[in-house]
Amino acid sequence: MRLSIFALLSLSLGLVAAKKSPQEELTELAAAGNGVIKVTNERTFDLLTLPSRNWSAAIQFTALNPQRKCKPCSEFDPSFTAVAKAWTTVSEPERSDHFWATLDFDEAQQVFQKLSLASAPVVHFYMPLAGPRGRAKDTPLKYDFSHGFEAGPLAEQLSSHTPVPIPYKAPIDWASWAVYAAFGLFFLVTLPLVAPFLQNRWVWAAGSIVTSLIMTSGYMFTRIRGMPMTSGGQWIAAGYQSQYGQETQVVAAIYGLLGGSFLMLTMVTPTQTSPARQRTQVYVWTAIIFVVYSILIALFKMKNRGYPFSLLF
Amino acid sequence: MAPTKSASSSKAAPSSSAIHSLWQAYNDETPDRLKFVDAFLVFIMLSGALQFLYCILVTNFPFNAFLAGFSSTIGQFVLTASLRSQVNSENKDEFKEVSPERAFADFALGSIVLHFFVFNFLG
Amino acid sequence: MPVAYPLPKDLSPATVANTASLLRIVALALISGAAIASRLFAVVNFESIIHEFDPWFNYRATKVLAEKGFYEFWNWFDPTAWYPLGRVVGGTIYPGLMATSGVIYSFLHAINLPVDIRNICVMLAPGFSALTAWATYMFTKELKDESAGLLAAAFMGIVPGYISRSVAGSYDNEAIAIFLLMFTFYAWIKALKQGSAFFGTVAAVFYFYMVAAWGGYAFITNMIPLHSLVLILMGRYTNRLYVAYSSWYAIGTLSSMQVPFVGFQPVSTSEHMGALGVFGLLQIIAFSQLIHSHLPSKQFKTVVLGSVISIGLLGTAAIVTLTVRGSIAPWTGRFYSMWDTGYAKKYIPIIASVSEHQPTAWPSFFMDLQFLIFLFPAGVVYCFKQLRDEHLFVIIYAVVASYFAGVMVRLMLTLTPIVCVTAAVALSELLDTYIDPQEPDASAEVADVAAPSDNASAATPSKKVKKAAAAASAAPSNPISDLVNANAPAKTKKASKSRGIFGLDTRIAVIFNTTMMLLFFVAHCTWVTSSAYSSPSVVLASTNPDGSQHIIDDFREAYYWLRQNTAEDAVVMSWWDYGYQIAGMADRPTLVDNNTWNNTHIATVGKAMSSSEEVAYPILRKHDVDYILIIFGGLIGYSGDDINKFLWMVRIAQGVWPDEIQEPNYFTPQGDYRIDDQASQAMKDSLMYKMSYYRFSDLFGGQQATDRVRNQAVPKVGPTLDYIEEAYTSENWIVRIYAVKKEDPLGRDLKSANAFAEGKKRKRTKPMTRRRAII
Repeated sequence: MRLSIFALLSLSLGLVAAKKSPQEELTELAAAGNGVIKVTNERTFDLLTLPSRNWSAAIQFTALNPQRKCKPCSEFDPSFTAVAKAWTTVSEPERSDHFWATLDFDEAQQVFQKLSLASAPVVHFYMPLAGPRGRAKDTPLKYDFSHGFEAGPLAEQLSSHTPVPIPYKAPIDWASWAVYAAFGLFFLVTLPLVAPFLQNRWVWAAGSIVTSLIMTSGYMFTRIRGMPMTSGGQWIAAGYQSQYGQETQVVAAIYGLLGGSFLMLTMVTPTQTSPARQRTQVYVWTAIIFVVYSILIALFKMKNRGYPFSLLF
Repeated sequence: MAPTKSASSSKAAPSSSAIHSLWQAYNDETPDRLKFVDAFLVFIMLSGALQFLYCILVTNFPFNAFLAGFSSTIGQFVLTASLRSQVNSENKDEFKEVSPERAFADFALGSIVLHFFVFNFLG
Repeated sequence: MPVAYPLPKDLSPATVANTASLLRIVALALISGAAIASRLFAVVNFESIIHEFDPWFNYRATKVLAEKGFYEFWNWFDPTAWYPLGRVVGGTIYPGLMATSGVIYSFLHAINLPVDIRNICVMLAPGFSALTAWATYMFTKELKDESAGLLAAAFMGIVPGYISRSVAGSYDNEAIAIFLLMFTFYAWIKALKQGSAFFGTVAAVFYFYMVAAWGGYAFITNMIPLHSLVLILMGRYTNRLYVAYSSWYAIGTLSSMQVPFVGFQPVSTSEHMGALGVFGLLQIIAFSQLIHSHLPSKQFKTVVLGSVISIGLLGTAAIVTLTVRGSIAPWTGRFYSMWDTGYAKKYIPIIASVSEHQPTAWPSFFMDLQFLIFLFPAGVVYCFKQLRDEHLFVIIYAVVASYFAGVMVRLMLTLTPIVCVTAAVALSELLDTYIDPQEPDASAEVADVAAPSDNASAATPSKKVKKAAAAASAAPSNPISDLVNANAPAKTKKASKSRGIFGLDTRIAVIFNTTMMLLFFVAHCTWVTSSAYSSPSVVLASTNPDGSQHIIDDFREAYYWLRQNTAEDAVVMSWWDYGYQIAGMADRPTLVDNNTWNNTHIATVGKAMSSSEEVAYPILRKHDVDYILIIFGGLIGYSGDDINKFLWMVRIAQGVWPDEIQEPNYFTPQGDYRIDDQASQAMKDSLMYKMSYYRFSDLFGGQQATDRVRNQAVPKVGPTLDYIEEAYTSENWIVRIYAVKKEDPLGRDLKSANAFAEGKKRKRTKPMTRRRAII
């Protein structure tokens, strides 16, 4: 009788000693994964989102298998890992009050199904339900990717929910600094060689003309909106307020050709000494102006359907 | 009194003899009219410097009053300096449409407009 | 000397000159007439009404000025805007526009012409556009000659890029600002050319007027110093530059601080530091030149040069240190977002959401400028050929303006004047070459050349070919001087040019082509103005099935309902777009308006619109809101409605309350923005959704209700409202007004009160207490 009681006591003591709290288990998993818990089964996910949790969890749902062809996932993953790594520098006990986890589609498909997620990457932020930071509702906050896949905005946005702000510092871009320094040095060294070139007005003229042609062809639009060169086989974007990269080049070339024809008529043809040659030149350039202008009008009509005028085409 | 002399002597004692020769050259070469204008310019500069020192050392309240006073010195200074360059006979071929009389009329008009704004801003 | 076509022989130079100036005056008058007439489409098609949104505030301010006088206007505090904060109008506006209208109003009334203030405000922009055409003429005259000036004036008068912001009824700052811009630049160029302090003062006075009129004055504040800096770097420093710049800067900066809204910014913000820096640099250079003139020794020169450079660097370092320390404010978000184009979307979503701040695609350039856009580079090349100081200014302006116009649609307006000027120069150059009747000699060896210049000097006999070519290329003959020269028999015209156009047919071909292009331009401008830029946007027009015009006047209908059926101090909540119109037409206090100066207040409205009724109701009551006004275009297909703007409301609210409002909650789990059955719960509960679709499906009488803008099917069972009730819906359901219910007198929450009124029993949450007899 005494032996069995002793056995029972020791068993229960051992069990109590051996049983880890969920938080400790998660802390160990996080430490093992260099700040990121790799969720490979539903159990770990349930552990992270325990209804009695007093910790928060940011979980990345991604699909990194190249077969899945999820380009944003592979773009975003390094940012998530970097922010989680920055979190490992936070001191205890705040560090264990928040966990970072990543869940790959191929490893825990049923979790995707459970949350009826149809796209990736998705970041869910589960707030604690108990303790000082506890919330009442269990719905996770969803991270908004409107600021891109960079680590900086991610750290900034999530810092308002983590126990302490995430000490993420964007790594110094040594590469681009080195490029700038190299450029500057190169410029200084070749300055004596380049100087007469820079003092020639026609070099500046060429630069200014090219700049203004590019700008008036809508280049900044394609750059700010990140428009592709072509899309779906079309190089002309439908709609008046939109354009593709290819259009910029075509329109800039048309403007350059038309402006150049006018310059030819004004500056070059009057210097021709032979009347016959001059006459052909005048007619050729005038014809070019007329034809290319008609092309431009036709192109504009394609963009602005209501335009009532047309020349040749 | 050749500038070359000052150049060779400037190697020995650069600042003092250079300034001395500058002062000599200025004194000899400048007509009296321009010296009169230059005296006025120095006065304006001192007045502006005094106001600026007051602003830094004592107080800059009210700021608009300081700005009005200081701008009036600056404005008057540049207008007078412009007048000086326009009536300087050395610059005659630069200012083809502006005769010295016209320069003075411009100066007067500019000063009136400037001080109108100064007076409004003094508060 | 051969001529392609004969010129009249018996004209004296005086006659030619007089006729030429008469023709110029007539041409300018006709251009002014065309400019004014082409801006009157809206007045003719609809009526004389103020357009858009911002002009309604300007109109309201001008009415205060006209009725109560300048002192009241200058010290006006408006408690009905931004309720309950109020707005200090006198100190937060650019008063130039209102002051101009006020002066015109007083003048007309003084000479007994009682013109209504509304008509003055409506017609101010066309009137000033005629003046802008004239200012452009003067500016271009300085670059080339009067014929180029006339072309530039003609272009400026009818070009759509400028018309879009200056039609009759568009009573906004740009109406007078572009005239002031061109005239200030003209005065600056004149000051630089002559080295005159008079024109410098004129430039400063008009710069002051510009600062009082438009926030875009910072463009002038940086263009003129940039031009001066480039001149200095090119080694073109002259005393004229010193005189012009110093007089402009000293008087201009002092005068710009007179405007309360600008205040001390010219000495404490980064946008103005460039001008200060160049001013200091010019003083240093002038002083060093003065010393150099007295001591031409080379050694001393290098010492002086060294000290100039070091003082310059010291000054720059001082400015940078002050900026880093914070004494000098850094570039404001509005201007900074033009360099870092992603900045506004991340940090200032209000700026990013305005449609005028979007980048420009090439069809917009072509629509606004047509063939001027490809003549523009040709004109810039001409400027490089001449490269006097004023041409350098045009080049800098052209390159800078084309960048800014590419970044923001709204800034197309600053590109338009310089495109008109350069295109006019290029076209005038072409016409000069091909109208000139003198033909060159067919044989190349002829060395004699005439160099007819404007002062019609005598033709010089035999010169070397090189000199001849240089002279001919430097001054392509001015047709008028040709005319004069042709009739000076005393001057021997044995010499002929080696440069020119043979034959009459070539001339006719080119001139015919050019004339056709010009006519096409006029047709294009007229079409664009009448179809695209003459819409008052307060009144919409569509066509009936039988082709007749159908006017949609919902906005005014609803605003006047508000004006006539609500208490005078009833507070109206709406999205900030409509604030000025509500204040102007309905004359009621508003919570937020187009001034958008208080982001938190706007975010509060956004939060109220995007939250459920229970969450929004305390916000509404706290701000004393009596009526909520929304725009809904689902019935007739008006796509500028509030449901389309809803995501911006959410984003702005999220910026201030990220815990309570998250944008992804308003999308379906798949990430779509839907308003039908699949809409997310947050979307369906939001006040904006409920207000838009309340009773909408009832309209369709059992049929499938469709939202014509989103092209989705609206759920059959529409939303129910407990805390607000429908007050007014306009004829085409574009404007919907809801009244906010007061608290229940019995202290219940309104949802339960309504449920009780409908006869529903309240569910018992606690068991009934057992009653015990006391005894």
